[in-house]
Amino acid sequence: MSLSDLHDIASKVLERVPHGEGEVIVDDRDKSLTRFADNGIHQNVADNTTTLRLRIVHDGRVGIATVAGNVWDKLDDLVAAAERARSVSPAGEVDALPDPGPETPFPAAFASATATASPELRADAVAVITGAAEKAGLRAYGALDTGVSRLVIHNSRGLRREAESTRSGLVAVCRGDQGGGYAERSDVNVTEIDAAALASEVVDTCKRNQNAVPIEPGDYEVVLSSYAVTEMLQHLSWMGFSGLSVEEERSFMRPGEKLMSDLITIYDDPAEREGAPYPFDAEGNIASRVVLVDKGVCRDVVHDSASARRAGIPSTGHALPMPNTDGGYTAHLAMAPGDQSIDELISGVKDGLYVTRFWYVRDVHPLKTMITGMTREGTFHIRNGKLCEAVKDLRFTQSIVDALAGTLGVSRERLVSIPEWSPGWDDAVIAPAVRLRSFTFSS
Amino acid sequence: MRDLAERALDTAAARGARYADCRVGVRTSETVTVKNGEVAGVSRHESEGIGIRVVVDDAWGFAATGRMDGASIDETVARAVRIARASARVRRQPVRLAPAPAVTGNYVTPHTIDPLRVPVEEKIALLLATDAAIGRVPGITVRTSDTEAVRETTFFASSEGSRITQTIVEAGAGFDCVATSASEVQVRSFPNSFGRQQYAAGWEAVLGMDLPGNGERIAEEAVALLTAEPCPEGTMTLILDGAQTALQVHESCGHPTELDRVLGTEAAYAGTSFLMPDMRGTFRYGSDEVTITADATSERGLGTFGWDDEGVAAQRTVLVDKGLFTEYMTSRETAATFDGTSNGTMRAFGWDRIPLIRMTNVNLEPGTSSLEEMIATTERGVYLMTNRSWSIDDRRLNFQFGTQIGWEVIDGKLGRMIRNPLYSGSTPEFWGSCDAVANEAEWQMWGVVNCGKGQPTQLMHVGHGAAPARFQNVKVRPA
Repeated sequence: MSLSDLHDIASKVLERVPHGEGEVIVDDRDKSLTRFADNGIHQNVADNTTTLRLRIVHDGRVGIATVAGNVWDKLDDLVAAAERARSVSPAGEVDALPDPGPETPFPAAFASATATASPELRADAVAVITGAAEKAGLRAYGALDTGVSRLVIHNSRGLRREAESTRSGLVAVCRGDQGGGYAERSDVNVTEIDAAALASEVVDTCKRNQNAVPIEPGDYEVVLSSYAVTEMLQHLSWMGFSGLSVEEERSFMRPGEKLMSDLITIYDDPAEREGAPYPFDAEGNIASRVVLVDKGVCRDVVHDSASARRAGIPSTGHALPMPNTDGGYTAHLAMAPGDQSIDELISGVKDGLYVTRFWYVRDVHPLKTMITGMTREGTFHIRNGKLCEAVKDLRFTQSIVDALAGTLGVSRERLVSIPEWSPGWDDAVIAPAVRLRSFTFSS
Repeated sequence: MRDLAERALDTAAARGARYADCRVGVRTSETVTVKNGEVAGVSRHESEGIGIRVVVDDAWGFAATGRMDGASIDETVARAVRIARASARVRRQPVRLAPAPAVTGNYVTPHTIDPLRVPVEEKIALLLATDAAIGRVPGITVRTSDTEAVRETTFFASSEGSRITQTIVEAGAGFDCVATSASEVQVRSFPNSFGRQQYAAGWEAVLGMDLPGNGERIAEEAVALLTAEPCPEGTMTLILDGAQTALQVHESCGHPTELDRVLGTEAAYAGTSFLMPDMRGTFRYGSDEVTITADATSERGLGTFGWDDEGVAAQRTVLVDKGLFTEYMTSRETAATFDGTSNGTMRAFGWDRIPLIRMTNVNLEPGTSSLEEMIATTERGVYLMTNRSWSIDDRRLNFQFGTQIGWEVIDGKLGRMIRNPLYSGSTPEFWGSCDAVANEAEWQMWGVVNCGKGQPTQLMHVGHGAAPARFQNVKVRPA
């Protein structure tokens, strides 16, 4: 559907709201994903789904309803369901819907090549990966996805937003008889993803990661790749970058306090061109740049309208779709680049470990930012500044803040990750590699 | 539903599909959330559409749409066929499906009270009463409770002649309460953590939970945890409550016995398995106390149905028999690699996703012991309840779990409450050390509503029957 079609549906829904204020989000997504295993495509899917989300606010009560899929003849049902939910809710303090606000400052990231990507294009890109693996005597596994989203938000106060955005991602794992490798790339434009370069990276890592040897668990100096840092940043965000988590005293963030190294600056920037720019949040508020950690010092957190009101400040434009009891969300998280190359980070380590990737990371103690997980598909011993033998995967149990307090270097190069699955709002994470003084591997 | 499905199958055949199936689905859900004494959300969601899966040129294609008119169905079938032809460009081996009989049937989840017909006012009243009970305990900073009601009706049709209508009904509820101090955040949940406890059943299942009656007790535990002693560190006897045992089964037995993982089709995402085919029938997975089944017929289980999403009848499969690894969960395609037949575990989360091998109800069968007896016969150990964190490697061997709360066990008696407990181990050694499982009186069905697998990710609802269980020589430590 075109944006014009979506505006038309949104208007029809709002016209039906019987009283009070209404907010409608119309989201039309067309997504495709080609999955491969053992050097062949084994799953290959596409879906086109339209979702309507209506919030009615009236008389101190809020009701929400959504319909998805076959929405066209369900506009009346949608309004009736939202109004029914509203009418039975006890009256309380509710947030007014946002005013129209300023014009959308920049367009969402969009590439027509991604929006029109064909199954043949995806298959041919996959063939580059599987071909390289086969040539090296390895087996390739992974997925290439492409998607386009068209979204509009209308509310009764006259707010009107629209965005047309695309994303694509290629993930590859290569496996030999005694170990594997991993690589991924994301881009707004699928034709900017260099499948051959990715194939070269994943095959190279896999070949080096054969016959890994055991290593004693303990504290090691480490260089973490961008893939691993991306995962750390996401967990840091879930554990404490929202205003609500600070309000509820479950966040590690203590504004003004220095918790990390001078080398660490973390921010959320919906306009960053290197990522996947997206100009507004799920309430239609313009998303602003928020510096979360500035040279190791805790600064600000992100808000939706509700937590911002309680904090006495304007929303930063980081709302998720309602109802949401988790508060604002950093959908465009980034760590600022450093001034070293990844090779320079490695060359500074006398005796340590290089970690390609984390796996199955879970929060163990959010206030301490303690996480646990495994290394996977490429953990290497660093000796005298050089990557040496592969070591067997290790479990880590580590406070992220403590680890980043000991940062010894940050890479210039950063990778963008636009997760295929994410809880957010067209997420992107931009992460460099880092060198850390100490990281605890527990088993 | 039926007309559109027949049209999709006819169109697929005309376009060259040698096999096709489709699912026309309508899923309705309603959630009510109360937070800190206020209704934080009442929302209703309905999703309707059709997903079509085809084999063309010996390769798979799938496409889904919410547009339920003839022209859109034709277009979506054409898309699935084109995708399948693209798959064939990088095909490893031709798709081969194990035989399955054509089935005509109808199934509805047994239930007494339709959870979507329960007035929202009643649900709000239940949650506000729960919230009030929690709120009577000083020191709680956040109180959250919710209910979910689900009804999903699916019509499945295949080119081999199956025509099946199923309606799955689910009802769930639960609450969390948070207590904080300068150095601690402690959460207690009831009846289960990470959302709620959910059943394939009617609203009667929620009424049986008695959320308000447990609010004060659980909140007091959360506050007490702030000043409780840290979990001791060492190798000791571990007793798990039923909910944590259920998650242990999920992660360390359910996932590694999914045959698609074993064959590598999840290698890039969910991972693989340590249970290789040559281990079937010979590998000692656990002790004699350990019998684990995949049972899609278990009462009230979230993995209970009439037929799976390939039209294979619900059944009970013994995965581990008195410690011996005996069988995998399979699909028609994976079963064909062993020249066998599917044991009916292909499930899709919604009409817009393909079915994958998913746990049904993976149950640790009841033993002969009891929690009381396990504690009474333990010299030194810990008793841990309610999951807080879980992590396991991609082959499902090396795990570390944390629970919300625990107690020391000393000389056959429960001792002090302990906070931030973690335990870790390796799957076969851990289950090999299981020396007691509680009996049927303490065995119950647990629901997991966030089991992630596949790309695009599907969050499946699965069930686990479990009772408290005891393990020896486990590494335990504080977080």
